[in-house]
Amino acid sequence: MAQQLSDDELSAALAGDPSGFSAVYTVMSPAVLGYFRARGVDDAEALTQDVFVDILPKLAGVSGGHTGLRTFIFSVAHARLVDYRRRAERTPHLAEYDPLNDARYSASAEDEALGSLGGISDTLARLNEEQREVLVLRIVADLSIEQVAGIMDKTPGAIKQLQRRGLSALRELVTEKDHAAS
Amino acid sequence: MTGTRDPHQDGSIHAMLSDSGLECAAELRSALEQLRAVVPDAAPTPRADLAALLAAGAAAPASATTTALPAVESAKDAADESLPTGITSLAERRGRKRRLAIVGGAVVGAMTLGAGAVAASSEDFRLSVNQSVDAIFQPEGDATQAPEPVQPSPASIPVFPAPAATSPAGTPGAAPSSNARTGAGSDGDEDSDKKAGRKPRTTPPAVGRNGILPTPGQRPGMPAPALPGYGNNGNGDGNGDDNEDLPRVPGRITPTLPGVVPTKAPVHP
Repeated sequence: MAQQLSDDELSAALAGDPSGFSAVYTVMSPAVLGYFRARGVDDAEALTQDVFVDILPKLAGVSGGHTGLRTFIFSVAHARLVDYRRRAERTPHLAEYDPLNDARYSASAEDEALGSLGGISDTLARLNEEQREVLVLRIVADLSIEQVAGIMDKTPGAIKQLQRRGLSALRELVTEKDHAAS
Repeated sequence: MTGTRDPHQDGSIHAMLSDSGLECAAELRSALEQLRAVVPDAAPTPRADLAALLAAGAAAPASATTTALPAVESAKDAADESLPTGITSLAERRGRKRRLAIVGGAVVGAMTLGAGAVAASSEDFRLSVNQSVDAIFQPEGDATQAPEPVQPSPASIPVFPAPAATSPAGTPGAAPSSNARTGAGSDGDEDSDKKAGRKPRTTPPAVGRNGILPTPGQRPGMPAPALPGYGNNGNGDGNGDDNEDLPRVPGRITPTLPGVVPTKAPVHP
């Protein structure tokens, strides 16, 4: 995220020139990967690479500069996530035995101290599906309200509302968790 | 994990919180920073097809795209473009099935309309339909004689003599009248016998019907309509009409008579 596409790389990529592909991948793929991870996808890397295999040849039709490119990539990622969810609904859930999921197991102090990622994704998982999507797109994908509205096919007002409710719900969950921990 | 890698991101979270009126919620802010920390620093190493796409650079973009894309593009184009060998489009077959169903429905509808038009225009058709319907629904009791009721009089003949035979035994009062009439009929029959040997057989059943019909109310539906036509012919015009009927009579009546005549013969003397 710290990296930014240079204007040359961007214009090359948007012109459909393959020389810009590598730069686009290097700069954008971490955010896409983080998006999939935050949404709890099993194999986030594979899905990320699917997204880039899909979009890179189509960059020639993208307009709108940095913002347009980001919106395009995350709309494809969002669609891929929806596909993934539908596919996952149809396939039976197979899980190996995980001692952490065993109810007879008490969490270790290390897990509680270090469980930053697991903690936040668990908390997110308790939010409404749309609220979660808005928060992840806003924070992880770093998109504006209007961009999120375009991706989720909603009005900016609806996105604002979802964001506000999601944040308050998240706040309640976090304070509740803090109280429980302390 | 601290989440503050970039002041710009921190600013965006702050803006988001202030948008929602939650800027003072410290724990929420740290949770959002944790969420942002999910984004890894480095890009994941690309797998083979993606690496080929990336490495294409300026050298072989076309080959790269052809290796990377066929799965997607062939699936999309399969429907509308010319199909590769060995693959048939499902949409076409579905369309064919639908067309078959539509054509079949149209044909059946047209045939129904035509049959309805014929029925409306020609009386013969309606009559024959009525007769066939009668033939189907009438002979519930005597299924063996099903064809006979269609030709009214001869059919009723074999049925009635049997009650005539029983009636003299059961009800003596009714017997003499029927015997007297049969006797009169038998006289006529003898005359007709001279003209045609089978004639006597036709008349006695006709007379017998007249005598019997009033007494047994057993078969109101079938014989009643049959009788008046035949009774008039048999009684009024007598032999002449019977002679005209002769050609069709013998076939049906001869087999029935042996049963009829012997029963009456003992009664007469």
